[in-house]
Order: sequence, then C-alpha cells, then structure tokens
Amino acid sequence: MSIFLQLLLRSLETGSVYALAALGIIIVYRTSNITNFSQGVVSMFSTFVVTALFINTGMPLWLAILGGVASAITVGMLIDFIVIRHTKKVSPVAKQIITLGLIMVVLGITPLFFGVDPLTLPRLINAGDLKILGANISYNGLFNIVFGLVLMFVLFYVLQNTKWGLAVRTTASNEYTARLMGVPTKTVTMFAWGIAGVLGVFSGVMVAPMTSVSLNLMDQVQINALIACVLGGFQTFYGPIFAAYMIGISANLLSYYVSSVWGGQILYIVILAFLIFRPHGLFGKKIIKKV
Amino acid sequence: MMLDNEILKIDGLSIAFGGLKAVDNLSFSIKENEIFGLIGPNGAGKTTVFNCITQFYKPNAGSLLFRDRKGEVQELTKHKVHDIIKLGLVRTFQNVELIRELSLIDNVLVGGHIDFKSTVFEQALKLPRAVKEEKALRIEAEDILRRLGIYERKDMIAFGQPYGILKKVEFARTLMSHPKLIILDEPAAGLNDVETLQLAQMIRQIRDEFQCSILLVEHDMRLVMDVCDRICAINFGQFLALGSAKEIQRNPAVQQAYLGNSEDEQHEKDSTVH
Amino acid sequence: MKKNHILKNPYVQFILFGLVLATLPIMAQTFPFIKSGYIITIGGTLIYAIAALGLNLLLGYSGLISLGTAGFMGLAAYISAYLTVDLGWPFLASMAVAVIIPTIIGILVGLVSLKIEGMYLAIATLAVSEVIRKTFEEFDFFTNGFSGKAAKFPSFFNISLDRATTYYLIVIVMVLVMILMYNMVNGQLGRALNAMRGSEAASQAMGVNLLKYRLIAFAFATAFAALSGVLYVHFVRYSYPSIWSLKLSLDFLAMIVIGGLRSIYGTVLGAFIIFAVPDLFLKQIPYFNQLSYMFNGILIILVIMFYPNGIVYLRYDIKKWWKKIFDRKGKVNHDAG
Repeated sequence: MSIFLQLLLRSLETGSVYALAALGIIIVYRTSNITNFSQGVVSMFSTFVVTALFINTGMPLWLAILGGVASAITVGMLIDFIVIRHTKKVSPVAKQIITLGLIMVVLGITPLFFGVDPLTLPRLINAGDLKILGANISYNGLFNIVFGLVLMFVLFYVLQNTKWGLAVRTTASNEYTARLMGVPTKTVTMFAWGIAGVLGVFSGVMVAPMTSVSLNLMDQVQINALIACVLGGFQTFYGPIFAAYMIGISANLLSYYVSSVWGGQILYIVILAFLIFRPHGLFGKKIIKKV
Repeated sequence: MMLDNEILKIDGLSIAFGGLKAVDNLSFSIKENEIFGLIGPNGAGKTTVFNCITQFYKPNAGSLLFRDRKGEVQELTKHKVHDIIKLGLVRTFQNVELIRELSLIDNVLVGGHIDFKSTVFEQALKLPRAVKEEKALRIEAEDILRRLGIYERKDMIAFGQPYGILKKVEFARTLMSHPKLIILDEPAAGLNDVETLQLAQMIRQIRDEFQCSILLVEHDMRLVMDVCDRICAINFGQFLALGSAKEIQRNPAVQQAYLGNSEDEQHEKDSTVH
Repeated sequence: MKKNHILKNPYVQFILFGLVLATLPIMAQTFPFIKSGYIITIGGTLIYAIAALGLNLLLGYSGLISLGTAGFMGLAAYISAYLTVDLGWPFLASMAVAVIIPTIIGILVGLVSLKIEGMYLAIATLAVSEVIRKTFEEFDFFTNGFSGKAAKFPSFFNISLDRATTYYLIVIVMVLVMILMYNMVNGQLGRALNAMRGSEAASQAMGVNLLKYRLIAFAFATAFAALSGVLYVHFVRYSYPSIWSLKLSLDFLAMIVIGGLRSIYGTVLGAFIIFAVPDLFLKQIPYFNQLSYMFNGILIILVIMFYPNGIVYLRYDIKKWWKKIFDRKGKVNHDAG
C-alpha cells in the first residue's frame, strides 16, 4: 500500500509536468490552430536560461526562475510576432512543419549560448521529506504538485471569469468571428504564446533536477504532452490535463509493476490501441464537416 | 418498395443537428431519364438532403433507395461515402472542386478512379494491364471532352481556365463514372444569364446522350423552371409541393415560402432606392 | 526542337542523371581535387534521398507528416545487419525482410492513427519512433546497444561489392526509385492523392477511399525509408542508436520542404543541400553542426512562408525573369528601330 501511495505521489509530480506542457500546447492550438511541436524545445531553452542565470550570476534560484519566465514570455511572443502571425494563409500541415523547423532552430541555437555540456539545476526546496502513511515525498515534489494545480486553477479562473479569458475563448472558438466582434485576436494569440512559454519554463524547472539540463531535457515531456492532447482531445482545455495526469500515473505504475525499461513504451502502444476505439479521445467530440 | 421506372426513392428522410431538424420526414422519388429539381429558399435544407443522399451525412431516420447500374435496388445508407459512385450515383460541387495543378484531361480521369482494376504495384512498374487501362480510360475521357466541346483544351492546366470551362470539366468528370443519376449542387451559382442558358442546354444534352437522370438542387429559379420535368419544393426541411414547373409556380404554399420572400426582398430593394 | 526530343523523355533524363552521378568514383581517381571521401558523402546523400522521396509522396501528395522516418530507417538497418552478420543470411533475402517488417509496422501505425485525422500521424509516429529508439538501446543481442552494430558491403550472385561498386548500386537503386515515383504520381495513384489534397469531399465523391490512399502513401514512405536504411548499413557498415534520432527525421522533412514538395529532382536537390553541401564545404566552420542545423530550421520556415514550392522552383522563376528582361530588351530595340 505504501509503495502504491509512493508511486501515486511521484506520478502526480510527473503528471503536473506533463499537464503544464500539455496546457501550453492546447492554448496555442486553440488560438493559432497549430499543433505546436516546439513547446518542449522552447521550454528547454528557457530552462537553460534559468540554469545559466543561477550558475553564472549566483542569484537565488527563485529569482533565476523569474528571469526564465521573462525570457520565456519574450521568446514565445517573438515566435508569434516574427513567424506565426504571418502564416494566416498557410495550411495547418505547413504550420506544423514550421513548428518542427522551430525545433531545429532552437536545437541549433541553444549550444551557441550555453555550450554543449549538460548543466545541473538544483531543486527549489533543497531538503526535507514528508511522510504520509509510510510513503515519502520530498517537499519539493509536494510543492511541484501543488504549484502545478494552483497555476492551472488560476489559468482556468482567468479563462472562465475575466474579460481577457473571454477574449481567448472567443478566439479559440472562431478566430474570424472574434475579430469581427472587435476582439484583438492578434494580441490574444501573442499572449497565448507567452503563456505557453511560462507553462513551459515551469515544467522545465520541475523536470530539470530529476535529470540534467541538456538538449534532450524535454523530449519525453513533449511526447507525453502531445499524447495527452490526443488522448484528452484537442477540443477542451481540461481533457488534456486530465489525460496528462493519467499518463503520469499509468507510466509509473507500468514501470514499477510490469517493466522498468519498457513501461513508458508499453503505455504509448496501449494508448494508440485505445484510440482505435475512441478516435477523438476521452472527451473529444466528432466534428461534422460541412461539405 | 420501388416502382420499375424509379431510380431514387427517398422515404421519410430526417436528420437533426443538435436538436435542430434540418430535414423532417421528407419523401419523393425520381424517375429514370428525368430531370428533377429540388428547390427551396436559403436554409430550406436542400444541401442537407443532398449530403444525406451522397452519404456525407448519415440520416437519423428514413430510407434512401437507389437502383444501381445492374438494376438492383440498394439502400444508400448502407454504403460508405466513397462507394456511392460505384452504384452509379455521382455529384458535382457548388464551387467546382477541381485540381488546379492538373491538366483538364487528368481532372476528368479522376472520375474514372473506380474503373481502375490494376494495383499500385502494376502502375509503379507500368505493367501491361495498368498501361492498357490508362490508355483506354484516356481515350474515353478524350471522347467525353470532345462531346462537351472542350477537347482542344485537354492538356491545359485547370488553374486559370474560365469558370464555364471548369463547370464543363466537372461534368465530364462525373460522366467518366457512367452514372445513372447525377446530382448537381447549385450549378447556376456564379453564372450570368447567357451562361445559365447554355448550362440548361448542356444538362438536357447530357441526359439525352448519356441516358441518365439528373437531380438539380438549385436556388436559381430560372434554370429550374427551364429544364426540370418535375420539381419538389421544400422549406424548413419539410415537404411543400411536387409537380411540373407550372404547377409549382402556381402553388400558393411555394409562393408564400419562396416567391413571397423574394418579393419582400424586391420591395426592400425598391424602398432603399427611393 | 526535334533534336532533343529523346532528351525530353523523363525516363531518359532519370537514367542520364544516374550516369552523371555514377562518374564520381572515376572522377575521384582522375582528379586530385575530388577526394575519395566524397564518395561516402555523396553516396550517403543519395541514400537519404531515397527515404526523402518516400516522405515526399506522403507529405507532398497527401499532406501527412511522419516523424518516424529515421526510426523505420534504423529498424531496417539493424534487421539487415543482424540477418547478414549474425544469422549469415544472403544480402538480398535480408534486404527483403528488412524492408517488409518496418513496412508492416508502419501500416499498423497508419491504420490506428489515420482513421482519426491526418494530423495525428505525426504524433503517433513520434511515439512509435520513441519505442523503436528504446529497442535499439535495449535489445543488445540484436543491435549491440550503444557500442554499435557492424555490417559488411553487400554481396549477391557470388559478387562481393566494395565501396565504389556499392556506390554504383546506390545510384541504380535511386534511379529505380525515382522512376517508380514518377510512374506512381503520374498515374491513378497520383491523381487520387492530388484529388484528396485539393478537396477531400470531392475525392470521396469520386470514389477515393481516404483511409486506403493515405495508408498507401504512408506504406510507401515507410518502405522507401526501410530500403534506404538497408543501403545505409551496408554502405557505411555501422549503425548506432543515436543516428536514428528525431533530429534525422526532421532533416528529411527539411530536405523535401526546402528542395521542393511533390518534386522528384527537388527531393534529391534537398538532400544535397541538407547533407552534401555542409559536409563537403562547411565543415571547417566552428560550431558547424549547430549552425547548419539552425540554418536548416530557418530555411524551412522561410521556404514555407515565402517560397512554398521549394528551391527547385527557382528554375522556372529564373526562366521567367530571364524572359521578362529579354522581352523588355527586345521591345526597347524594336521601339528604337
């Protein structure tokens, strides 16, 4: 039982990482109609910024993270401002390819700034474990879980209850109509890219202490987040988040009880097989195309 | 079930989108070699009926019987959207959906898609069967283009051709599949008076030369009244009237729904001028 | 006009193109400035071009993205190396098996993801190549893990090839693949795929089964990737797990987007731009790997935004500009006269 609980707590931690990344992908998808494959590498870049600030200037970690947030917002908005904004007439497939091109740009540019050697980033809360019913979780892990949930609740609150949130939702449901109704869709989309960047840098900072800060930092996260979006359905904001936690939990359970090496891979195959039966995901609806 | 001279029989067709009944218990049938019109004001559900027949939408209720090439009666709802053409039922699109980068004859050959029996491997290796098939279909496509009077243009790219020519190419493409019934989706949209007249001529020519029925789903009254043997009028997804052009024109319910509307519009236009 | 009639025949052009490429080993022996190392670079480029041609059929004609090109290519490479080296199979038999297995896996992946919507194929292939990559690292008996797997030059019908003759084999296979592609895209398959690209609804009304034709395109993309993987492992004679990364899959994407979607020569041109040019001329630049990768990314974005037909299209545009300039001059002369 305590092992199970331990696994569950750990999974919630990785689950929040996936959920933040998935939310970043969804918010961009809904406002720009782009499946953003570059969410992961952009997060990786911002995490490098945090790490470099922390190591080279000796500033406290929380301040370095704030610096990372600022850089993430800037990078996200710049991507929209320089590239995405000018692709109105480009097909969705071509937009996907643009984000794949962005992966190449970021992968090429990051070592020029931060060198080719991996860096290490410590945890935000360095020491201390909490014991619940025989299970251990670090305060840092607990903080990550709570912080992830709080961040998402704040975002949902903003989306549902503020004027700005309404603007995002109208842009998401129909960009053209939103524009006619006077919603500044360009600004909304740019902010969405900025927010995706913020969600990304947090997911990156959460994941970094578990491994090292390298070019591959977010590869797993990106794949899991994309699969979460497919599994949860691209049409809602909550579906992918729910799926992200589910993936976090099932991946850990499979790794522990079935195979430590193949757990994650088995999960991918199970999810792909599941999609045969529910092609539009757990919460997605079939859209009738107008002919 | 279905009379011998009937090609399509629609019975009790209903479909709803999110509670809104787009088509409600609609029934009519089309005879062989008939030019049949389906009319109604904007939003009457014409296009939905159309999409139900061609299986782009799956209706909630009702039956759609069709007499296929072999003379057997088929329930259309049991077929997939891409199999409908094999039965001998083919459609056109409101805004001619041709492939811009391909030549006119290649566009027409797309209509012969279902007649290809050779596999992809045979085509890739250019084995005799694939070459023979391609050649035979090309000759047939050339023949159809010749009969529609656009043979000289066959090797030109579709992009940049006049609208009237593209319409003809789309007709040619449907004819490649040896249809029993062609459904035309607002063919007069975007045509001027002279072109509409030519279109009416072509529709008759196709019916006579290729021995098929034609279902015309149309907003433009001039064309419908001109070429249709019989007309069915609908409004708000429901049946209004069925009969010859004259009968439909005289029908008070149709006048109310259709002509009445346009009179109002006319009136509004006049009043803005003053 | 009539004189170059035979040169206008596309098949003749493909074969001539192959003959030109085949002169490389001889040139390397004759001219000192062409190093024999170039054979490896150009041979590798042509191998990549084969996989890229398949991907171009998929992306260019059916608008689907696969991020599994490198994974399937690597899988075929390992299978062929394993069968020839460990089990002592003959080259041709192992090549057949090494092409068929990834293709079947590809079809299964396609069946699952293409049923939903096209855009899911990219995500599904990304996940599958992750599974495949893990296999390369973990199945030591089959891949020799991180230390890499060795293979030999091909040999068949009692002929053992060396580097130069393997290069000829690559050229022949590439020309054959080009011809196959040409036949496919100019026949019924090409028309069906083109119709799908133009309008899914119209193509369905004409009897095109969307799932079937997407699957066919994806199956060919996978099969060509596998074929190129086999050639790779028997030409380079080594395979490491790290070669078959997402990075390589993105490189293939870059090749066809930059070279030219739906263009056979464009694909080969793209392969040269992405692989051969940096490898032959730019290697001395510091941070060369990173820089070239970054530039490829920027090029993809620029081409999509401003020149969606790809660089191969420059040929037509230059002709057009030339004609314009020439015409204007002619006009001026005429006016003056």
